[in-house]
Amino acid sequence: MSGGTHYAPLHCDAPGCDAFALTGAHACWKHLDDRHAWRAGLADRDLNAAWLVGVDLSGADLSGWDLRSARLSGACLKGADLSGADLRDTFLDGADLRDADFSGANLEFAILGGADASGACFHGANLQRANLVGTRAHGADFSGANLYYARPGNADLEGADFHDARIQRTIFRRANLKDADLTGAEGTANFENANLEGAAR
Amino acid sequence: MIFRHFLVDVNESNTFLVACEETREALLVDLGAWDPAIPAFLDGHGLQLKAIFITHDHYDHTDGLRDALAERDPVVYSGKGCVGGVPGTRVAAGDTIAFGRLRGTVLPTPGHTPEGVSLALPGMVFTGDALFAGSVGGTSSPDSARLQLDHIRQHIFTLPGDWEVHTGHGPSSTVALERDANPFFN
Repeated sequence: MSGGTHYAPLHCDAPGCDAFALTGAHACWKHLDDRHAWRAGLADRDLNAAWLVGVDLSGADLSGWDLRSARLSGACLKGADLSGADLRDTFLDGADLRDADFSGANLEFAILGGADASGACFHGANLQRANLVGTRAHGADFSGANLYYARPGNADLEGADFHDARIQRTIFRRANLKDADLTGAEGTANFENANLEGAAR
Repeated sequence: MIFRHFLVDVNESNTFLVACEETREALLVDLGAWDPAIPAFLDGHGLQLKAIFITHDHYDHTDGLRDALAERDPVVYSGKGCVGGVPGTRVAAGDTIAFGRLRGTVLPTPGHTPEGVSLALPGMVFTGDALFAGSVGGTSSPDSARLQLDHIRQHIFTLPGDWEVHTGHGPSSTVALERDANPFFN
């Protein structure tokens, strides 16, 4: 059984805004008056299944946080430390994940499609059944990660490091794996129409 | 709205639970197995199972029906009258399934099976094996494949882009992600 989600977001208080308010606030990120205070109060909140669409948490220390089933679509987590975080079923679609640290994080069933994770570190992370459709992850470190049945179709993974990763049933359909390092990767993956130019296997 | 995802052992299929917070009436989408975690969640949250929506009549989406019906009394909805060997209520495109204050709308997504249907609720759609994250369901002929792609384009990709797509196997997605990056459409 994976993590649960409790969808009951309130609408943003700003007149004419049809977005949902962030968890722990009365407004969406765009209309939030005191972003610093809201951000400072996050550590004390239950963020399981939280509504965090579009927030800027760049550089934040979120290591070990429980963000299961949270909706972080379009968020900026550039350079954030999410090592060891629980991100099962979490929506990170379209998020800015550049240079973020997900080492040892649990991302089973997480949705990272359309995100930019270039330079991010997923070393030893659990990415089983993760959605990586259209993800951009140039030079990202997936070494030792578990990508069982993950779905990086149409992903741009140029120069990414998959050495010693588990890629059993991983679906790299039409992915760009140019110059990627797949040495020591274990399992049978689907590379249908993938670009493996210069990839080490 | 209460939402819960269960991964069941039968062919690693997904079951989803949606419930009305006010009336505590719940609906399940697909039921490959009556995993003990499902009744435990229902009972633990004081939920009454009112309906089971079956996206298509394959064992890994229906094998839990008999056990569920032995314990509970939900109405079983599907694109066929009888699914998984149990009687049910046939639904068609545009039909509404109500539970508590929530309303789901049936969308036609044939191809993987002739009677395949999806269910749209505000903010999300359940596609069964018609549409997966980065893929689509297998079909038995080129005509079925075309039919499936056409119906996904017409009925799923026209939903708001930020709506969640919950599938029969593997991870969830969004309408925009699949419309813009699914290799079968791009």
